[in-house]
Amino acid sequence: MSNSVISVISRFLEEYTTKTSNKLKVVDAYLFYILLTGALQFLYCLLVGTFPFNSFLAGFISCVGAFILGVCLRIQINPDNKGDFLTISQERAFADFLLAHTVLHLVVINFIG
Amino acid sequence: GLEPGSNCVFCLVLLTVALGAQALTPSHHLSLSDVDRLKGLLSQPFTDLASAYYSIVGLSKLGASVADENDACQFLKAQLDPMSVDSLFFAAEASQAIADCEVSIFNETRDILLAAVSEDSTVTQIFRAVSALSSLGLPLASQEVVAALVARIAKEDNVLAITTALQTATRLSQQAELGGILEEIEDLAARLDDLGGVYLQFEEGLEATALFVTAAYTLSDHADTEPPLKEDQVIQLVNSVFSKKSWDSRSEAFSVACAAAALSSNRFHVPVIVSTQGPATVSHSQPILHLLVTDILSNPLASANLLVESAQAVASKSVVLSQAPFSLRNGIFELNFMASQPASGYYQFTVAVTGDSRLVANQVELKVKVSTEVAVTNMDLSVVDKDQSIGTKTSRVDYPFKAKGSFTADSHQNFAMNFQLVDANTGVELTPHQTFVRFHNQKTGQEVVFVAEPDSKNLYKFELDTAERKSEFDSMSGTYVLHLIVGDATLENPILWNVADVVLKFLDEEAPAAIQSKTLYMPKPDIQHLFREPEKKPPTVVSNTFTALVLSPFLLLLILWFKLGANISNFSLSPSSVLFHVGHACMLGLMYVYWTHLNMFQTLKYLAIIGSLTFLAGNRMLAQKAAHSKIFRSTIKHVSGT
Repeated sequence: MSNSVISVISRFLEEYTTKTSNKLKVVDAYLFYILLTGALQFLYCLLVGTFPFNSFLAGFISCVGAFILGVCLRIQINPDNKGDFLTISQERAFADFLLAHTVLHLVVINFIG
Repeated sequence: GLEPGSNCVFCLVLLTVALGAQALTPSHHLSLSDVDRLKGLLSQPFTDLASAYYSIVGLSKLGASVADENDACQFLKAQLDPMSVDSLFFAAEASQAIADCEVSIFNETRDILLAAVSEDSTVTQIFRAVSALSSLGLPLASQEVVAALVARIAKEDNVLAITTALQTATRLSQQAELGGILEEIEDLAARLDDLGGVYLQFEEGLEATALFVTAAYTLSDHADTEPPLKEDQVIQLVNSVFSKKSWDSRSEAFSVACAAAALSSNRFHVPVIVSTQGPATVSHSQPILHLLVTDILSNPLASANLLVESAQAVASKSVVLSQAPFSLRNGIFELNFMASQPASGYYQFTVAVTGDSRLVANQVELKVKVSTEVAVTNMDLSVVDKDQSIGTKTSRVDYPFKAKGSFTADSHQNFAMNFQLVDANTGVELTPHQTFVRFHNQKTGQEVVFVAEPDSKNLYKFELDTAERKSEFDSMSGTYVLHLIVGDATLENPILWNVADVVLKFLDEEAPAAIQSKTLYMPKPDIQHLFREPEKKPPTVVSNTFTALVLSPFLLLLILWFKLGANISNFSLSPSSVLFHVGHACMLGLMYVYWTHLNMFQTLKYLAIIGSLTFLAGNRMLAQKAAHSKIFRSTIKHVSGT
């Protein structure tokens, strides 16, 4: 059982490193960073407590929101998905990404207190 | 009109019926001081004809007159405007009230006054014209006036107008057809508001009610017809008109004076007031009950006789006196009630005033108190042993002396007191309201009061069980001064008698400090306000550690990007891309400034400016990039194609 899990994982890693383009890997690295930041914030909240709660929420939602937007960007610029996003060019996807982030940052800074 | 004889019969019937029923009696009337106050208000100096009229005529109704009659007469003559109906009215009426005062008239006067008597003038105008004509002795046609009044009443259907019409009718000839106007009295009476069954008044107020009373009785006298007012209504009107004892204006005072005069001297209904001179109390020293019988102006009634119908003891409901007449002496009715030897207490008297068929509310209920003096007899003090083994030692003490020795009682003994309370004059046993036994400790200031109660034979007994009662005394042993307190509303000599000194010995002395009640009234300790405590923050070390931890993935990101070969080599230095990056950096900087300094509105303002610039630049830049990559890709294709 564990053998198959390990073999699946190693196969996945192999395919990933070879098949995915650099651009996507850059975005993936960014997503991984966001994930780590969010996880660490959550860990702090679990260990030390929720004071001040609004700041914790702001930070955590910022990570979650950024992660979601990053995923959207990745989907939109993936050339394999070009068929689904005919009207949206890569530049347009990036512009949308920036605009959405502006709104997210505004809300987060408002809430951070 | 009806004959006078039938009126009297009607009244007697009314009286008989009234005597059987519990009639209402006036709760307000004008006492002598009220009448003086009324006269005082009316005697104030007058400034114009109207106030002169109110003062002069009002005072004459009360049987008084203005200070200087000559002066008043001169004033009237000087102020008279012979062209004005109102002026003529005031002057004429006022001059009639002053002896030897005549207002001069001109030929035109009669014409002016007669011209005012028509259907086109108001009722007040008609009234003033008719009164002036009548006072000045000028002839007028009564029937025409009646016709005008009837027409005006139909048009001006308010209380004051109809009252004025009634007053006008009193100045007309008795041969005129006054029946229609007389009926208005009953209609007006129906408009009165009944307040709690005690007051009857118009919603227009006191003045309107008083003027109505005056008009109704004056007209009834003039037409020799009894006014259609029931006895209770008359009393309720009396209550309404005379309940106010200080009047707002001269005209109000005038209306009250007229009403008082009308009610005290008309031919049909005279309300009678029966009042006591001072408190209604009789005793052995003052055995005579004095009553005053007056009209509402507090003038004694000349032809009245007072009779006690029944005097009933409130407590025992036994009738002590029945059908006993009062004797009249110096205008005051007297009755020696003590001659009937009543026991002390309260008695309900029902008295009736007779002698005049016009009297209204002539059956009155009074409460009379019979006081007496109390004597304490057979006061025996003793110390009784609880187990009754040792004989009791009884001492007799006589009022008002104090017992010679002191009495000692400890926990094995009871202290007892027996006495009798009797009427000093008759020897009858009494049970007053207050019979208290008071112990006072001179040293500690303690005071303990007990109630002594009579047994079935009216002997008072008081027993103190020292063991049982130690909590009341706070177990403080010592010498207590004993007082007997006897009091009642019907006793003329309440008793506070220092009977003896009693030494009480209690077991287990707890000896409390000074009486606790002293601290009840000292300021209490201050309460400090507890402000809301701030929440506990984690130590700074922990926060700093985690801040570093959270920022560390950024380092990881940079390392990963470097490893992936991400670079900015394709960075074109075109103005739009520079502007875009600068603008974007500014937006991020704005976020920081928003966190530290600004509020949402300011931020949105700056964001709009920077954002639009960045958007335009970014749009350009990305478009360029798109075009560039398109060219690039097509070039590659082209190159690879060949």
